[in-house]
Amino acid sequence: MSTYGTTRHHNAPGSTTFSAKERVTDYHTTLFRRLTWEGTVPLEIRVDSKELPANSDRGLECYYMQAPRVSYLPLLMPEIRRFLMDVVFDEAAAKVIKEEDWWFESEEGALLKWHWPIGLIYDSHTISASVRPSSSQLSASTTPMRLNLHLASPPTEKLLQSPSAESCKQAFMGQLKEADFIRWGNTKRMTGLRKVDQDAIWEGIKEHNFEHYWRVASKVTPTAGQTRPQSPPSGSVASMHGRAPSAEPSGPPDRDGAYNVRSVPVRIYLPDGPVLQDLVPPLLEDGTCHTLSHFLSSHIPLLFPVLPPPTPSRGNSNSLVSRTPESAYALIQGVRSPPESEMAWLGACLAGADGWLNVCIGISRG
Amino acid sequence: MAQAGGSPDLPARSLPSWAGAENSDTFDEAIKALETYKKRDPSKVIVRFKAVGNAPIMKQNFYKITSSNRFQAVIQFLRKELGWQAGEPLFTYINLAFSPAPDDTVSNLFKSFSTDGHLIVNYSTTAAWG
Repeated sequence: MSTYGTTRHHNAPGSTTFSAKERVTDYHTTLFRRLTWEGTVPLEIRVDSKELPANSDRGLECYYMQAPRVSYLPLLMPEIRRFLMDVVFDEAAAKVIKEEDWWFESEEGALLKWHWPIGLIYDSHTISASVRPSSSQLSASTTPMRLNLHLASPPTEKLLQSPSAESCKQAFMGQLKEADFIRWGNTKRMTGLRKVDQDAIWEGIKEHNFEHYWRVASKVTPTAGQTRPQSPPSGSVASMHGRAPSAEPSGPPDRDGAYNVRSVPVRIYLPDGPVLQDLVPPLLEDGTCHTLSHFLSSHIPLLFPVLPPPTPSRGNSNSLVSRTPESAYALIQGVRSPPESEMAWLGACLAGADGWLNVCIGISRG
Repeated sequence: MAQAGGSPDLPARSLPSWAGAENSDTFDEAIKALETYKKRDPSKVIVRFKAVGNAPIMKQNFYKITSSNRFQAVIQFLRKELGWQAGEPLFTYINLAFSPAPDDTVSNLFKSFSTDGHLIVNYSTTAAWG
């Protein structure tokens, strides 16, 4: 991550023309979106041994896979099913097994939600392990996440949703629209998509196809131009707060830019809950960028105490600010994220496929 | 998250002997902080139900609902008020725009989407807004 950060910084200042600069920015946006998209997590799926049908091959009831972070458990079912049918169950059992009754638990017995992205399930598991005794934490960080697959009696009330790909799609579209509303105060961008495009966005997830997904998603996701609005569009609330003069060249105001949204769709996940959500404007009242560290210290100050203001050297990303040892860290797409990251940029480049930026908080150990 | 309460070993956990005193203090403080954030918010917010399309109108449509409730609880409450049988379709939306995740809390939705001090929940017997 730091390598890319350095490259980005290296290209940013100085004499590049606007068009050249924009090209660089596009390259970086695509790069981080691609990294987010290609991210996978290791899973070990084990059928609850008490529920294995008679005549199952008990030596093979474990299935290992790398699952895309942007995918969902219902979308993994066909692959898991194929494995179980081919290798573990005999023909008689295969006939009576009903996929609608399947559900997953973590090794610790936490119910895994059908409508959470797999990357979020994994990161949420990681941070929950960070507050448990160190032995279990060690195993969590060195082995795949273990999922127990149950074949019967799903706790329907708690799962809130049936395991079908169709209801997963509905939930996913709901999240996309909610994110759209958070950003712009309406869902015009989403509802403006033709049905065929709305379907294509989900097909992109199902097939894990970056190009197919982004062909449509780019119409609803803000652009991540590095050039921030020098003067916010007139009439907006932000125009009441002057922005510090910037030496950087600035292009025409980008109406769909990440720094022009009303708010960034963000949720904070704490170990074993709760989940916190609030409006997160991309710029602060004084016109400076809303950083991850500001965001965390204003929402969970007990874990991220407010630090004395840093020296005003702007854009000096190499300076090693000496900090007191932190008790907590922020995990975004599985990556410990630097406190100076800007919320607008994170929202445009590291959000999940559903448009949401998931910030998982883990607890540090000495 | 659904796994709240799934960590019975938290208060009584013991640190390995090699953990430095200073670090374990920081860790314990962080755990205490987490406990603070886990406490349920007892405050209430006003939820206003609005029928869409053919859905029956409610005589009383303002309710004070505890903000730590999940949206799922709001849906269940609404179904009960409407006398809806299990299996009868009911679709719920915020601000005529989207269906929130059922595990999202009323508090989170209120903070992001309230208008004039109300969280507006639209309900419909058919799917609207896709």
